[in-house]
Amino acid sequence: MTRAATGGSALAAGAGLPPSGVTVGGAEVGLSAETPAPPRPAGPWYRQMAGLPWILPALVVSVGVLYYCIGYTGFISTLKWDGASPQADRVGAGNYVRMVNDPIFWRALQHTAVFFLVTFAVQVLLGMTFAVILHSQVRLRVLYKVLVFVPVVIAPATTAPVFRQVYAPDGQLNAVLGFLGLPDTNAWLANGTTAMLVVMTVQIWQSTGINFVLYYAAMSQIDTEILEAARLDGASNLRVVGSIIWPGVRGTTLAIAILTAIGSLKTFDIPFLITTGGPSYSTEFLGTQIYRVSVALSQVGYGAALSIVLLVLALLMAVALNLAGKERGASRA
Amino acid sequence: MLRRRARIAQGIALAITSVVALAGCGAPGSGSDTGGGTTTATDGGSATSGSIQWWSWTPDNDLAEREIAAFNQQYPDIKVTYKKVPNADYTAVLRPALASDSGPDVFTMAAAGTVGPFDVFSSYAADLTPKVSELLGADWKSKVYGAGVTSFSKDDQLKAMPWAKVAAGNMWINRGLFDKYDVKVPTNLAEWRQACDTFRSNGLGCFKEGIGASGFDVDTFHSIVNSIEPGLYQQAATDKIKWTDPRLVQAWSTFAQLQSDKILDAGGVGVQQYPDVNNAFLSGKVPMVQMGSWYSQYATVNSLTAALQGAGVPADTPKVTIAPVAFPDVAGKGNPSTLFADPDAAQAVNAKSKSLNAATTFALWLGGTTQGQQTVANNVDSLPTLAGVAPAWSDIALVDQQVQEPLLKDLYAKAADATEPRSNNLPAARFQAISDANQAVLGGSKTPEEAAADVQSAFDANPVGS
Repeated sequence: MTRAATGGSALAAGAGLPPSGVTVGGAEVGLSAETPAPPRPAGPWYRQMAGLPWILPALVVSVGVLYYCIGYTGFISTLKWDGASPQADRVGAGNYVRMVNDPIFWRALQHTAVFFLVTFAVQVLLGMTFAVILHSQVRLRVLYKVLVFVPVVIAPATTAPVFRQVYAPDGQLNAVLGFLGLPDTNAWLANGTTAMLVVMTVQIWQSTGINFVLYYAAMSQIDTEILEAARLDGASNLRVVGSIIWPGVRGTTLAIAILTAIGSLKTFDIPFLITTGGPSYSTEFLGTQIYRVSVALSQVGYGAALSIVLLVLALLMAVALNLAGKERGASRA
Repeated sequence: MLRRRARIAQGIALAITSVVALAGCGAPGSGSDTGGGTTTATDGGSATSGSIQWWSWTPDNDLAEREIAAFNQQYPDIKVTYKKVPNADYTAVLRPALASDSGPDVFTMAAAGTVGPFDVFSSYAADLTPKVSELLGADWKSKVYGAGVTSFSKDDQLKAMPWAKVAAGNMWINRGLFDKYDVKVPTNLAEWRQACDTFRSNGLGCFKEGIGASGFDVDTFHSIVNSIEPGLYQQAATDKIKWTDPRLVQAWSTFAQLQSDKILDAGGVGVQQYPDVNNAFLSGKVPMVQMGSWYSQYATVNSLTAALQGAGVPADTPKVTIAPVAFPDVAGKGNPSTLFADPDAAQAVNAKSKSLNAATTFALWLGGTTQGQQTVANNVDSLPTLAGVAPAWSDIALVDQQVQEPLLKDLYAKAADATEPRSNNLPAARFQAISDANQAVLGGSKTPEEAAADVQSAFDANPVGS
């Protein structure tokens, strides 16, 4: 894991790396507003384009496969089409108007927002905690690392039936509650609120391992001298975590925020496999809604419109979080 | 030298890129033509030999293999490869396959609903009318299940050969559990409550159903409405009365009462009919479920064994004796339980098939010949659609022949007489609205009145033919 990928900007701001645009060993590092533009290569235009043939195959594949599909989805979103019939009706922005008036769409967005906030907060907390603990001298560290990471590599299709059984009215969770003398007839998946909690807990269980790995790697980059200096100054463990480690992994946290936000928007497999978006759409996300309207209801045009909105939201979310991260980094520098 | 090699490499890269670009960027149909539709194969190959692919969500693999084996006794030179696609994925899988030039040769369509619906896929199907006339004669329509012919025809062309009929409205009980606890089969709400009390006091569930996810609850709601007033459901389904009619609101109240009276197992809205309910019933954890005629297959030794193996139940587990029973008179008005039936599925031939003639032979054999329909009937999965064909019960090994055979015969006879549609006349959006209402009422998020109003809104927003 490279420094840049795991929080380079945070370390630059909080852990003593040089700010952008400074000279190190005679060479300028990073870019600033004053950085001069690189000189244009001399020679005729075809010489300047000499690299184009080398990148063209990749460009064609990415444009052809990805951007063409996005464009085609945008086109389909203006149709009323079942996805198979030879003819489709042009409805212009009709699918988007329908979306604005669709209460399930707004509920899906709400669920996404709540899902993002909860899963992000809990995953960051757990990931940080595991990383901090396993950076200390703990016995069987490797075993714990494996245990924390294993859920990441298990397919949701494999775990979903297990969780459905665990949370069933006659499942293991109720059995444990009964053993403890608590009410043991809860239908967890039949209640909208608890069903959403189940979906979130499964997501957290599945994704905490990757956050742990990211934090673990980011913490490895923090200068140990700073930590030792803090100890010598009498800083407590919590103070070290709060004042040195947390700012030091800020870039990682930002990356996790972006990944979790985009992942939340794309959430599909866990709610689809465990709750099928129910009960009464209380665990519906954009992903499950797109699948339901496109496949079950054969309203492919409307599904495409939802997909385009999902794409735009994901892009906006990534840009916003990036900007927020940069602004905060600049204010700290 | 190096520069020359680099230029050659650049040239090759450009050439490859151009080829890829030209190959991959074939322009889609102009205007709003989205590329679907049919281009009939010019030749179609031999009608008695070849290799064909058959895609469907039904029947199970073991039943399909029996049907193919019987077909091969008559047509040994046509190799049929069956691909069973799960219900939930079938529409999504079939759509791109048929749009391509390498889709299945034979594909199953449903008359309505969300799994391979006729209105979505019929444009890919070849017209079977001339061939079925050849096979069954000019009066072929009188020999095939009428509703099936109507449902699978478009512009006077038979687009798929009716192959299976399905009926629902009955319940299934675990006969062994009823005998063990000396419980009478309930015929009304009070008896049903009493029966469930007994089962629950013995640590069992009672009536288990998945509400909302896959629509099986719509059958239960339909049965409740029929108990209140026969024919009322169809009046609402066909826009003759509003869903806000007090009698229909009462039906949702009764459905909710099944839950509050602890007849319906807790957490129905969080349960899926398959696999949760199916597994619980076949493994003897619950004594009652509502499934339709397709469930008859689990009265047979072979299909029940395969199902239990699929569910991971140990092979030496005693096999349950399932029995069809009438839906109780929950409204207490003395109205008899009725069955409602639909043309379930039909076999279509892909108009783009390179083995169109062999595919047609197979599709018509399955639905239009006595041999094919007898095999289908003997699988006891689907009701046959060809007149005069019925399961040869004496050839079918049931778990308890003495108990089950008369009950299954009775069920098949009633299903054959059923005239009320099940959900054939409900487009997907309307069907889902009813299922959503059931889920909302039983999940407690809406009152019966609110749910009824929602269904009416959905019906108004999705007129038939929209």
